[in-house]
Amino acid sequence: MAPGSTPAPVLQAHDIHKSYGRHPVLRGADLTVTPGQLVAVVGENGAGKSTLLKALAGTLPVDSGEVALTGTLGHCPQDPVLNASLTVEQHLHYFAAAHRLPDLDRGRELVDLLGYERYLASVAGELSGGTRQKLNLTLALLHDPDVLLLDEPYQGFDWDTYLRFWDLVEGLRARGKAIVVITHLVFEQDRFDLLADLTDGRLTPRTTSKEGHHVGA
Amino acid sequence: MSVPDALRPRPLYGQFPTALRFCVRDQTRNRLAALLLVLFVPAWYLMMDALAGDTPLDFKLYATGRVLHVDGGHLTLISAGLNSVTMIAGFVVFDAVRKALAFDRRLVFAGYRQSTLIGAKSLAVAVVASGIALYTALAMLPFWRPDPGGWFAVLAGFTAIALTYGALGLLLGVLVKHDLEGFFLIIMGGLMDTFLQNPLGNPLANKPVLEWFPSFGPMQFAVGGSFGNTALWSHLALGLGWAAAFAAIGLVIFRIRTRNRTRRQARRDPVLLPK
Repeated sequence: MAPGSTPAPVLQAHDIHKSYGRHPVLRGADLTVTPGQLVAVVGENGAGKSTLLKALAGTLPVDSGEVALTGTLGHCPQDPVLNASLTVEQHLHYFAAAHRLPDLDRGRELVDLLGYERYLASVAGELSGGTRQKLNLTLALLHDPDVLLLDEPYQGFDWDTYLRFWDLVEGLRARGKAIVVITHLVFEQDRFDLLADLTDGRLTPRTTSKEGHHVGA
Repeated sequence: MSVPDALRPRPLYGQFPTALRFCVRDQTRNRLAALLLVLFVPAWYLMMDALAGDTPLDFKLYATGRVLHVDGGHLTLISAGLNSVTMIAGFVVFDAVRKALAFDRRLVFAGYRQSTLIGAKSLAVAVVASGIALYTALAMLPFWRPDPGGWFAVLAGFTAIALTYGALGLLLGVLVKHDLEGFFLIIMGGLMDTFLQNPLGNPLANKPVLEWFPSFGPMQFAVGGSFGNTALWSHLALGLGWAAAFAAIGLVIFRIRTRNRTRRQARRDPVLLPK
């Protein structure tokens, strides 16, 4: 690709190192993501995927390296972080206040897209695992972020919801949003612009990724 | 993309009223605590009243040096009320704060101002603790009716200890790793603290060492007001001082544990995340 035609990266991680005590987890991980890209970070259990995602999200300090982010960020953690005593609607209300949103339109749209509008008045503590995960995802998307980091996002989804999830992701990508999905299993590799394997604390791009959407990992 | 503040549409919900409403809701949805309040408080009064009888007791007011000769049953009702309040206020706040900690961190990461969240949480603790104190003071009336001034002194003492143990619940909620540690510290701390203040069968009765416990000030104020017609404001302030100290330490830890590590720069510049 000719210099100058490459869109500016929206998220760039360079030489990320992170150890827990004497156990190194990330050993020089690099990742570059441009607007409209869909990237999968794939790794076995314990490979450090969630650590990488937290480092990218800024919720975990790293030992060395740098993460540069342009625009707004949405982060969907692997285990839903919800308040068991609040209803779905109250969660939307709380996060609309956090993001200073002028309305709840996007929140209601996401609830409809993911198909759980009948649970709006249910408290999170009484929701099924799959519905909790839908709410978890909705909260990450509520402010329509430029970069979305998803940690095992479709865990617990049924097939219908899994397809709705991909419709949602395609819609985001079409609007130039960058999405990084962290997963231990990739069912449909051709959905992604880039697949990067997290092995020995470093990211290695797979050659099977889509042509024409080159990114360096 | 950032938009200048003047052009940004008005937010639908204010951060402070939203956080206050949901923090209060969080702390009032604890069914076990509600059950303890409704059933345990009257049962505890009944039991302690029967245990103490009307044995006369000597109680020293430290502010004046006076020793009051008081009805042991009535005095024991005050210490039983204080004890109930320590347990219930501490338990309610500890449970709510501990369960919401990861969620609060997510809210801060999403853009909630920490100071707003802290302010709302503190006010919610104060509202809930005051409600618990009011109920406990009202529940005492079937057993003993002091004059109105005396009852207000008991209410003020209960409120001070409720705020203290609510603040301790907040501190433990952001500090300890497991539920049991927090519950144990609140229950045992509250029991030891309040029972030592009552001279009934207590070898440490009226000894200066009692001044070092959180319920010393509230007990002195409640007894001084209800038996001695004296308002020992400095002792009420001492109780509130304990509440302020626990709350300050807890809120500093809360601030550290919920901080957002991203360093925002000027708009359109990359946001550098920390090493």
